[in-house]
Amino acid sequence: MRRTVTGLRAWLLQRISAIYMLLFIIFFLTHFLVESPDSYQAWHGWMMSSGVSIATLIFFAALMLHVWVGVRDVLMDYIHPLALRIFALTLLGIGLVAITAWVMRILLMEHS
Amino acid sequence: MKLSIFRFNPEQDEKPYMQDYEIELETTDQMLLDVIVRLKVQDDTLTFRRSCREGVCGSDAMNINGRNGLACITPVRALKEPIKLRPLPSFPVIRDLVVDMTQFFKQYHSINPYLINNEPAPERERLQSPEDREKLNGLYECILCGCCTSQCPSSWWNPDKFVGPAGLLQAYRFIIDSRDQATQERLDDLNDPYRLFRCRTIMNCTEVCPKGLAPSRAIEKIRLMMIKESL
Amino acid sequence: MFFNLLQIQMPVGALTSIIHRVTGIFLALSIPFSIYVLNLSLQGPQGYAQVIAWFNQSSFRVAAIILIWALTHHLLAGVRHLLSDVDVGSQLPAARRSAWIVNLGSVVVALLATGVFL
Repeated sequence: MRRTVTGLRAWLLQRISAIYMLLFIIFFLTHFLVESPDSYQAWHGWMMSSGVSIATLIFFAALMLHVWVGVRDVLMDYIHPLALRIFALTLLGIGLVAITAWVMRILLMEHS
Repeated sequence: MKLSIFRFNPEQDEKPYMQDYEIELETTDQMLLDVIVRLKVQDDTLTFRRSCREGVCGSDAMNINGRNGLACITPVRALKEPIKLRPLPSFPVIRDLVVDMTQFFKQYHSINPYLINNEPAPERERLQSPEDREKLNGLYECILCGCCTSQCPSSWWNPDKFVGPAGLLQAYRFIIDSRDQATQERLDDLNDPYRLFRCRTIMNCTEVCPKGLAPSRAIEKIRLMMIKESL
Repeated sequence: MFFNLLQIQMPVGALTSIIHRVTGIFLALSIPFSIYVLNLSLQGPQGYAQVIAWFNQSSFRVAAIILIWALTHHLLAGVRHLLSDVDVGSQLPAARRSAWIVNLGSVVVALLATGVFL
């Protein structure tokens, strides 16, 4: 594909991130149904075990990409003045980067 | 039979209004078009397009009780009264039920709706196997009436950038034609954030197509071809 | 131009699509709040107890039920799209049926959650 800005890439990103999140949510819910954590120690221990915390981190990364593509689609549909759209997309981008940093701090530094 | 019809004459009216009509149904009135042709005898200012009266020319596409369709193949007795007739949504109105289809055809022409083949033409015709010909079924039948594109939310928001269901159905018609050599260029042309990818698979196009075609499936198939190409 | 959304018929697929969009925006807006709760629950026994206490409040539970409905709808509609992408259920009768399943299924799940919570 020769175009620099492609539609396929965003579309694929949306699908792939959706599939990962779907699997993660099923995994997460299954854990709660099978052995619901009944204390802080159990909950913290499970969440901070390396497998789960990495899977959670990937979940949030997928979520951020998914939100980026999804909200960008909405903005492209309804906001037409270019300056306003760039402003909205910039705001969205900053918000998502900030959230990513916040989640990384929670999962990688604060509680481990 | 009661009808309520969208009226707008830009030379006289400041804004559109709905006008009520009442007409006795006759046994010869089978389709909606039969009725509005007789209405025009009552009121010759009523303006609409029609030509073949059998669902082939695509001229009498209009919004019938909220849903786009062809007046000539819509059985009139099955419609809820008063029958509300409006021009195709989101298209500029020229007068009454007649809309300006310039943008619609501009998008159609943007996909190069013709065979591209640079090999010298054979003496008779470019042959195609029955299997390859089969692939064009469900695509070539499009009459470009505009029902689908006018009912498509993605086309409402970006009519100038999104090709729309009718144009994309035709794009696919040439992409999978075994005689066409510009497949790669056609796929590349559609791979930008707007031309094809504004489609959110809402499927209003397939819902309203009076010829029973499925532009939404054609779009999905183009996407799958793009994935195969890029892998 | 005639363009009045109230006078243009919306088939069930269009309804599902617009709910998919609205729930998507709603879920996106709820992300900071969800992370805040996650953070608090991991901060220590007090934070964890605080989150548990919240879950016992009815206003919090109502919010959780709305979130569960939105997530379920968005998820089911997403799966519907993924299947349609690979040509499963992309023909009109099947697509109409699956759109109903998404709309009603998400309400059923929300009602189940209500039964568990309230």
